[in-house]
Amino acid sequence: MELEALQQVESEIRGLGARLVVITPEIERYTRALHRKLNLTFDILTDLHLKVAEQFGLVFTLPDYLRDLYKSFGSTLDRFNDEPEYRLPVPARYIIDSGGIIRSADVNADYTIRPEPSETVSRLGALKGGPTSSGGLAAN
Amino acid sequence: MTAMAMLQERLDELKRNIESGAPPYNMSHEALEKMHRATAELKASGIENRALKVGDRAPEFRLFNQDHVEVASADLLRQGPLAVSFFRGHW
Repeated sequence: MELEALQQVESEIRGLGARLVVITPEIERYTRALHRKLNLTFDILTDLHLKVAEQFGLVFTLPDYLRDLYKSFGSTLDRFNDEPEYRLPVPARYIIDSGGIIRSADVNADYTIRPEPSETVSRLGALKGGPTSSGGLAAN
Repeated sequence: MTAMAMLQERLDELKRNIESGAPPYNMSHEALEKMHRATAELKASGIENRALKVGDRAPEFRLFNQDHVEVASADLLRQGPLAVSFFRGHW
């Protein structure tokens, strides 16, 4: 659902001279299928074993009781992510300026809450428009 | 706003449907309790505060995309700002 919603604003993001990528621990076989199915025009990047997510401080391990529950639903992370330890990234959206500095950070441990793509577009627009009005872009 | 409802509204509706216990999800009370417990524990772990924040330097990355083409954040940033969304997967 989030990927479809991001796709809806992808051309706006490009129009602002910015880019969007999605990072996931899923292996390429699955990202390729998903990318085709949803006709995405942004890249889904495979972060095998969560090396990048770890650097952003986003990795957690699913507790045993949840691992067992998901297994009972047929969802197995070892298959999709080659991740036998059942680690995952917390959902997060960042905006990084061309100097490599984080200008917006939405991180939520509750995976049912996601930032609005339209909000990401307006923050990118604000970043483009004005130099630093410090704090104005801060999320959270 | 566009014809498409806001993302969070649609996620909230999905959540209501799942938590109702009704088909097609048929989620048991016990399963829902485990999910809520896990989310509460993760919140309490402080991970949101440990994650990188506004003002921090973003780590550089080089990763393969869906077509096995290597993508470098440095190349993208040369063209302008970059939005990065971390997605746990579609499983």
